[in-house]
Amino acid sequence: MTEETNQLRIRLVTPERTLFEAAATAVELPSKSGDMEVLYGHAPLMAELGAGDVRIHQGVGLEQHSPDTTRYNVSWGFVEVLPDRVTILASDALKPEEIDVARAEQQRATGEKLWNEAGDSEDAYTEALRVISEAEAKIASASEQS
Amino acid sequence: MANVLDLRRRIRSVKNTRQITKAMKMVSAAKLRRAQERALAARPYARMIVSVLQSLIRRVDLYDEKTGNLAHPLFLTRPEKRVLLVVISGDKGFAGAFNANILKTAYQFIQGNPGKEIDIEAVGRKGRDQLRRRYPTAVYSEQTEENGNKHQVRQARKGKVELTGDHPGMLLNLQTDRVMELAHSIINRYVHEEIDAAYIVYNEFKSVIAQRLVVEKLLPLLKIGSPQITGAVEPTAEEKERAAEAALSAGIELEAPDMHEAEEEAKKFGTANVDYIYEQPAEQLFAGLLPQYIFAVLYHAMTESVAAEHAARMTAMDSATNNASEMIDSLTLHMNRVRQAAITKEIIEIVSGAAAL
Repeated sequence: MTEETNQLRIRLVTPERTLFEAAATAVELPSKSGDMEVLYGHAPLMAELGAGDVRIHQGVGLEQHSPDTTRYNVSWGFVEVLPDRVTILASDALKPEEIDVARAEQQRATGEKLWNEAGDSEDAYTEALRVISEAEAKIASASEQS
Repeated sequence: MANVLDLRRRIRSVKNTRQITKAMKMVSAAKLRRAQERALAARPYARMIVSVLQSLIRRVDLYDEKTGNLAHPLFLTRPEKRVLLVVISGDKGFAGAFNANILKTAYQFIQGNPGKEIDIEAVGRKGRDQLRRRYPTAVYSEQTEENGNKHQVRQARKGKVELTGDHPGMLLNLQTDRVMELAHSIINRYVHEEIDAAYIVYNEFKSVIAQRLVVEKLLPLLKIGSPQITGAVEPTAEEKERAAEAALSAGIELEAPDMHEAEEEAKKFGTANVDYIYEQPAEQLFAGLLPQYIFAVLYHAMTESVAAEHAARMTAMDSATNNASEMIDSLTLHMNRVRQAAITKEIIEIVSGAAAL
């Protein structure tokens, strides 16, 4: 097989627009039940995404900071994996340099406040957890680049 | 008879008005172009959510055989007694009959359902102002439960129709998180059985000449993907012609750009004819996808409504510009006649004065 056919077609779509569309060798995804990496020829899969980083590797090497790696911080969404195609539907996606750290810190504080006030309500805990994990993923993503 | 000086002043004033309406038309045309782009850019996401839901529904039973539970409460249908109506109007005036038409459609819907209790959620400042004058606002009071939790309790209705919320300024700067919030609030109300159905009234906008006012059913979810239009008002041929003329003079394409290929591509999302591994159980996927779907429908309605509003304003301002031009012409003609009459009169005076000598 040639190089060409071993490439995945990656698409990252948000409600506002299609953010990213290109070929890549591998992609890392923050699934709700844990991070996973998809290479060419993966079995068809459908998963819900949590908050975290999507890493798209376009080069041969898989180092964390290789210049061929594109990173997006996504919060919540879905992913469809087919052997030669990966489509990511994200509710919100940001480049690491676009993240407003101050705002994320504030969001974390709000989340912790929600957590403390949740009382016995299970829904309130889930919601608080959602807010916190989203904020933490953003902070982690922003701090990693420096 | 008005003198020449007065007429000249009038002409100058009308010319100024024409300048303003012309500028407003060009601004609206630019905004319309941007709104159209945004509506198009939002389409792949909506399309993909729809196709993945459709494929999920095909593969997964909505009813759990063992427990008899539905996969998600949004699929549940109840007799329609309480209805939520989301009215999407414009935030600003000067758009011809745009806001009036939306309100008219909303009133028709309300009159057509006399037996039901209707809650109104107004998006857009113009619609809210009108509706607030006409219907009472719902009153909520905060209650503290035994365990210290606070929650909002709605007080007794003041009328059959009440305004439960408004979102002025939402459309000026259309942000996804605010729309998401609205979607969640609607879903919550449906799940907690505060409402039995939800409808949206908005101006659908495919292109400048293909638009109509629709009442679309949002909840309960009966069929995903095909909008359940319960009422539609098409513009008259004359209105369409006016809109087309305005668009041409502002350099806007009449037909929407061809998105067919991208659409086809998006439709394939999640529908490939293979057995997917579902990372999460179907109920969880539904719980995550359905709010996104409701959001996508609302967002779609709003982007189209914004585009339609700008198109309506553009058309209205184009008409105003034309009217001003006509007025200037007729005033100029009138002014010339008056001036000529004055000159003729003077000549007659001089000639008869000379003859009398």
